[in-house]
Amino acid sequence: MPTINVNGADIEVDEDGFIVDPDSWNEDVAKYFAAQEGIKELNDDHWKMINYLRDYYKQFQIAPMIRKLCKETGMSLKYVYELFPSGPAKGACKLAGLPKPTGCV
Amino acid sequence: MPTYKGMVQPIKAPDDVLRRLHLEPTPDDQKVEKALKYLDEMRKKFRSFTLAMETCVKCGLCAENCHTYLGTRDPNNIPTNRAELMRKIYRRYFTLEGRWFGKLVGAEDLNLDVIEQWYSYFYQCSECRRCAYTCPFGIDTCEVTMAARQILYWLGIVPKMHGEIGLAIEKVGNHTGLPKPGIVDTLEFLSEEIMDEFGVEVNFPVDKEGADILYVPSSADFLLNAYTLMGAGMFFTYIGANWTISSHMTEAGNFGLLFDQRFVLRHLFMRLVDAAQKLNVKKIVWGECGHGWRAWKMYLPTMTDIPIRWPIVHIHDEIAHYIRTNQLKLDPTKNDHPVTLHDPCNFVRCCSPGGPNGLIENLRTVIKASCADFREMTPNRDKNFCCGGGSGILFDDPEMYQRRIQLSSKKAEQVRATGVGKDGNGILCAPCSICKAQLYPMVEEHELGVEVKGLVDLLGRALVWK
Repeated sequence: MPTINVNGADIEVDEDGFIVDPDSWNEDVAKYFAAQEGIKELNDDHWKMINYLRDYYKQFQIAPMIRKLCKETGMSLKYVYELFPSGPAKGACKLAGLPKPTGCV
Repeated sequence: MPTYKGMVQPIKAPDDVLRRLHLEPTPDDQKVEKALKYLDEMRKKFRSFTLAMETCVKCGLCAENCHTYLGTRDPNNIPTNRAELMRKIYRRYFTLEGRWFGKLVGAEDLNLDVIEQWYSYFYQCSECRRCAYTCPFGIDTCEVTMAARQILYWLGIVPKMHGEIGLAIEKVGNHTGLPKPGIVDTLEFLSEEIMDEFGVEVNFPVDKEGADILYVPSSADFLLNAYTLMGAGMFFTYIGANWTISSHMTEAGNFGLLFDQRFVLRHLFMRLVDAAQKLNVKKIVWGECGHGWRAWKMYLPTMTDIPIRWPIVHIHDEIAHYIRTNQLKLDPTKNDHPVTLHDPCNFVRCCSPGGPNGLIENLRTVIKASCADFREMTPNRDKNFCCGGGSGILFDDPEMYQRRIQLSSKKAEQVRATGVGKDGNGILCAPCSICKAQLYPMVEEHELGVEVKGLVDLLGRALVWK
């Protein structure tokens, strides 16, 4: 299994670069992925989205519907793409330490 | 980087995924021997496959009829050449002339490079069957792709995406890994959304015992295609149906069809039978999904091996019936943007969809009654081209993503020719979850000026409530 090194700690990631164990996530992991994604600095809206996704996942063991995510964070899909250039699933979920969404998505 | 000797390949499932699918990966030094054993099994079992191995005369008619070849211009993506990757091995080991004369008759020894070539090219074929439709001998190259993917899977070679979907199917009974709490929360959210937007009270009953209708939506609808689920809920509410969604089997698709037509395919079938039995429903209505409809309609009876006592109907057929019998009041001006229809390959070339009340015409019955400005694309119906994502080619690593853009170029050309996106406000109706997942990003890549929607989405919006 591949790993990434975040501040000296080895964290397991899958072949798509998503972390394997959501519990191994910390804020530094989000910052590490942000740098990979070409996001210069994580601002308040980035964190708002990341925390929303983490809370939702903790409660429901799945990422929320895109429409719900936009509505509950008050962000348009276009703005989510501005924040996370790879989009809500492959960008925001990755930074939030969620597994990569599977299926016809 | 997912390429092998210059060939593009999807990221492979790692060994632990295979083991969780109850499959032991085959070591390299045993792959050739095992592949030949599995190929032997395929040729003995499937006459359609043997026909493809024995019959082709290389007339080349399939070339210009394959969106994969048209988009990539890679000679190995000409359907007959792709099949030849398997045929040359078949010839070498299972025909007299191949055993005696080898390369002179186009036979070739199997080695690891050929197996990697199979993985690259059989995962660029969309299994859309357009080549089968045009072949003068009726060779169905889709059957070759299916056999090749099965052999590869048994060898332990499968895309990570497909393998992980297999795991999700086993764990929760759908492709996206949706557990019941997520299903219920999403449906409650959609009830609120329908109330906000349409002012109608729509409830989505989950696991309701004694419901008449079990509706099986695509699990992708819970993440991406909100209006498809909303439209279905609105339709069932409108007709006063006693209906439910099962949290045990929440998947209109069946990726088993696309990589493992045994264990994985059967797993969802058995879940459906369990769910229908437990909820004691009278009828099953199928959601918007192309390959899934093919799987359920064409494979379910033989795979479950028991008489199926529930009628299984497609939601588009069901809606068309209600339109034909004047039971729905629809206002097409509610969808007044220019609309064109992408016919999912698995609807129009795989499921006996002909005739005036068949699925092909039913799609049109629904779209014409729901939209004010509908324009057919050309070619259409059973001659339509694939979206380029067919058979789950939805890989998003940079190399495969580029390939997906090429695979959708024929579709882009078709959409452009309709003119629906000329003013940037067109709608491309693609009533299938794989088509939607492929086309959402592809209409942007090709700058088509259209928004992608399902058919039930448009129907829901056009309903006139009393």
